[in-house]
Amino acid sequence: MFLLPKGNPLAENVPISKLHLPDALEKLKNGKLTGCATFDFPAADCGLVYDEGKLITAIVHRDGTEIKDQTALQALVELMLLASNGVFNVYALPKDIVCAVSALVGGSVLIDNQEIKLIDFKALLERIKTEQMTATLKLYTPERVGLIFYRNGATVGFFHDTSTGIETSAGEVQQIAGLPGARADLRMINDSDGFVLDLAGLIDIRALWESSSGNIFATPITTAGETPQAQPTAAANPPAADLETTIIEIAAQYLGKLGKTLAEKEVLNIGGASALKDPTKMEELVKALEKGAKLLASANKIKDMKDAIAARAA
Amino acid sequence: MDLTAFFQAITSVFPFLPKIYNPVVIDYTTLFTVFCWLIAASISLYFSINNSRIWTSIGIGFFLMFWSQSFQLNPWHETFTIMIAIHFTIGTISILIISHGIQEYYLFTRTLEIAGSKKTIYLGTLLMVLVAILLISINPKPSMYVLRNYRMMNNMVWTFLCILNIYYVVKIYIEMKDSPIANGIICLGVVFVFALIFKASGMYLHMYQWDKAWMNIIEFTGESTDIKLHMAKVETARWLFKTFNVLTSVSVAGTFVYLLRLLR
Repeated sequence: MFLLPKGNPLAENVPISKLHLPDALEKLKNGKLTGCATFDFPAADCGLVYDEGKLITAIVHRDGTEIKDQTALQALVELMLLASNGVFNVYALPKDIVCAVSALVGGSVLIDNQEIKLIDFKALLERIKTEQMTATLKLYTPERVGLIFYRNGATVGFFHDTSTGIETSAGEVQQIAGLPGARADLRMINDSDGFVLDLAGLIDIRALWESSSGNIFATPITTAGETPQAQPTAAANPPAADLETTIIEIAAQYLGKLGKTLAEKEVLNIGGASALKDPTKMEELVKALEKGAKLLASANKIKDMKDAIAARAA
Repeated sequence: MDLTAFFQAITSVFPFLPKIYNPVVIDYTTLFTVFCWLIAASISLYFSINNSRIWTSIGIGFFLMFWSQSFQLNPWHETFTIMIAIHFTIGTISILIISHGIQEYYLFTRTLEIAGSKKTIYLGTLLMVLVAILLISINPKPSMYVLRNYRMMNNMVWTFLCILNIYYVVKIYIEMKDSPIANGIICLGVVFVFALIFKASGMYLHMYQWDKAWMNIIEFTGESTDIKLHMAKVETARWLFKTFNVLTSVSVAGTFVYLLRLLR
């Protein structure tokens, strides 16, 4: 059973059909997420692990197999475009838990599918402690899963399939370990160097998304005239995303932290980054921003913010 | 300051006004505090007209507070006790409306949603004031006991809603501490702290029947009082009441001047 921990929910059960993957990932990056984003498809699951907006590891779990990192991102794009339904969740997690989760998703295997009764648990826990491992111990049966997270040898949390958040006591996970036929996996990472790799920087999700969606929905016989039409669309999208980022940054600069959240919300309300190209929608956005801004800043600041947005949009 | 001659002159110019029989003496502190409330009321009314709907609730509430406080300058209030009851009730309605605004502000910081309209706030407030006036008018002329009860109700409602408002102001500040008007919100919190001490000390004096209104009542009824046994507590409460009355009015005027600068 594929299981990633839930923390503070930032988005829950968002239908995948409403999601534009590149925009969603851009938001997680700009929002400097430390936590997990999960995609639950009918026949597969995907997990993305973020540390302060950096995508540090990705996994797709399908038909009992695991695909990781760049390949996982490519598989995610395909799943998004092919799946008829599914949900998207985002959870913020403490940094310690994120480190342990990255071990669970992309770490090296120390114990794999081992029956618990054959493991000297006391010695294993001692080893985790003395070697100061950053690791996740997964205890499972076909029906239940429990996770124990370690950071530098210390236990930092527990999670199981019926948890709604990170737990501080082992009770339920211990019970899973005691179930007949329970097995264990232990995966660890070398935490000493910290996280440096940003997967999102290694793969152009937006280009992949555009090209994949083009291939799937294009008619089998592509005329020469249709290709140039597809190109400008792909090329025009990044400026829309850039404009969204700029508007959010301007709102944050003039209105503070709440201004940033307000701008993100209002952009979503008008239909996302792509709607920013429509002058009517843009006007709608500025009006909505102004309405909320009256509770956060002075009239002059609001005017300056509107001027700055107008200048960038022009 | 003796204003008897001034008001007698007014009644001679406008003969339909009731005659002034008692001397009208207003002390400078009262004049100053009412003036401070007038400043706050003017600015808050300006906010209510030309700003976000949430400021409308807060603005109208502070304007009503000025109306409530202004009874001290009303030369006919001792003749028409019904007026005093109306002033106290309006003062109570004012904190309800201010608290409604503060709670909506907090809701905004959490959800970034602003619902409702200014018209609803104006009409709702008008309706509340009219119903209060109607209820007071159809009832017997308030005696000194009844007026004291109205005052106690005002102090109690203010005390408990001030505690709630302080809590919400802190939560609002935590949500928007890097926003340009965050310091204005802190000032609003300071106003509620001062108002809490002012109204709570008034409530304390009422609860133990050590207030001036009770002393006036027993002067005629001949009832006994234990006030002499607790003079230190009474004096402390009276000092807090008077000092924080002035501090509340000064801080409310200062806060609204500051908010005007921040929001301009």
